[in-house]
Amino acid sequence: MAVEALPRSPRANPFARIGATLLDVLQVLGEAASLFMASVRSISAAPADRHRFVVQMVRVGTDTLWIGALLSLFVGMVLVVQAAEQVRDVTQEILGPIVGLAMTKELGPVLMAFLLAGRAGSAMAAELGSMTVYDEINALRTMDIDPVRFLVVPRFLAATIALPILILYADFIGVWGGAAVVALDPAITIPVNTYFDRMLEWVHFSDFVVGMSKGAIFGMIASIVPCAFGLRTRGGTEGIATSTTAAVVWSFILILVFDFLIVRVTFALG
Amino acid sequence: MVESAERRRGVGVELRGLRKTYNGQGVLRGVDLVVEPGELLAIVGQSGTGKSVLLRQIIGLEQADAGQITVGGIALDRYRATPHDEKSFRVAMVFQNAALLGSLTVDENIGLRLREHGRQSTAEITAIIHRVLEQVELAGTEAKLPSELSGGMRKRVAIARALAIDPELILYDEPTADLDPLLTEQIGHLIQRIRDARGTTQIVVTHNLPLAGAIADRIAVLAEGRIAECLTPAELPHARHPLTRAFLRASALQA
Repeated sequence: MAVEALPRSPRANPFARIGATLLDVLQVLGEAASLFMASVRSISAAPADRHRFVVQMVRVGTDTLWIGALLSLFVGMVLVVQAAEQVRDVTQEILGPIVGLAMTKELGPVLMAFLLAGRAGSAMAAELGSMTVYDEINALRTMDIDPVRFLVVPRFLAATIALPILILYADFIGVWGGAAVVALDPAITIPVNTYFDRMLEWVHFSDFVVGMSKGAIFGMIASIVPCAFGLRTRGGTEGIATSTTAAVVWSFILILVFDFLIVRVTFALG
Repeated sequence: MVESAERRRGVGVELRGLRKTYNGQGVLRGVDLVVEPGELLAIVGQSGTGKSVLLRQIIGLEQADAGQITVGGIALDRYRATPHDEKSFRVAMVFQNAALLGSLTVDENIGLRLREHGRQSTAEITAIIHRVLEQVELAGTEAKLPSELSGGMRKRVAIARALAIDPELILYDEPTADLDPLLTEQIGHLIQRIRDARGTTQIVVTHNLPLAGAIADRIAVLAEGRIAECLTPAELPHARHPLTRAFLRASALQA
């Protein structure tokens, strides 16, 4: 018996798959950019929504404060141990600048942004995804309440303001984690005073400004991307899980892409 | 009991040649329907035939591919574009799963639209919330979260949320889905009382034909993307369309 060949699904064609993926990526970026613009336009209404903003600030804080402290402490400690081994034959006096500059300019902002995207961002995507799937967003629309103003702007502002503060906090704890290793590890021969003195010679106020500016931008990404994924959720519980995962992955990717761009532009500008 | 507030006529709804296609498949294929002011119309049909899509078009959550929707004599697009404060009438929708905001209490859910847009004082809003909760027989639940309520209670809170803005048109999407017969009867009576006391126009989408026959002024049967026939409850036993007859047979079996 002759078997009739089934028509080949366009998705089976590798070029079609690449094209579809590319279109998906562009659509996600477009939706996130459009949501960002809509949020910025709605910020003027924020004073009336300060209660929701405060609630989101508290959520972001409670989601990230303790685990952020733990993360920063151990990152500061491991930086000293790793760097001490590498500079053993040169001088351990540069341990302070290494930890200080790494924490303020790079590790503090990126780690805290990842933490915010992973904890608070995933919660935002899941919450908005659930609200989308169960018609709560549509219910808001039928009540002439703009979901962007009501739901996205408080989260966007909370993350954008909270992340720079969390980065300062992470920098402080990371530096003290490094200091603890300097004080207690017998393999490290410099005194803690030298660690701090050298750090203060090298780390300037502008380094904190760069780190905190990055934090504000990463905060926007870590809130807008999850909110965009939450609002485009389709298909019940499975859809919420898929959106949440995708929101975290895309937040991580965009944070690193913007990190590179900011560093490149900052260096180019001297 | 619904308070006998000043009885007002609801607004009429007119659909002309409404079409909607999803993924190349026509769900609505030219729906023509007129709902009179103050009428309680039930739309029945099989699952997946576009009943909910029809409601979403009427309230403007989805855009029709073709056709016209007029609510209260105004084209829907014009009504949607009118600023909230300048709208001459209000439309509310009760969603299938109630769609209460999970993070807000019953009080906050019901008062949400009033607090966001209304010009009423806090005391006035509290009084409205108290009144509509009494109407749906849920007084005393103001501080509860939706997760603390049963399915039937959530539906009634959703109806209270709709009533809070004193709308001229209420759309119900499967208001008795997943409810037992007693709760179904309770919701049905509530919808009837709203019509009797307020004269609000109400469109109820359901696949529960006995409920539709018990509460509605007219029943529109949606089949193959069109209104196949429109009957009063008295005409129901003499329905001609095969789907309506099949629904009647199935309902008789369930009874």
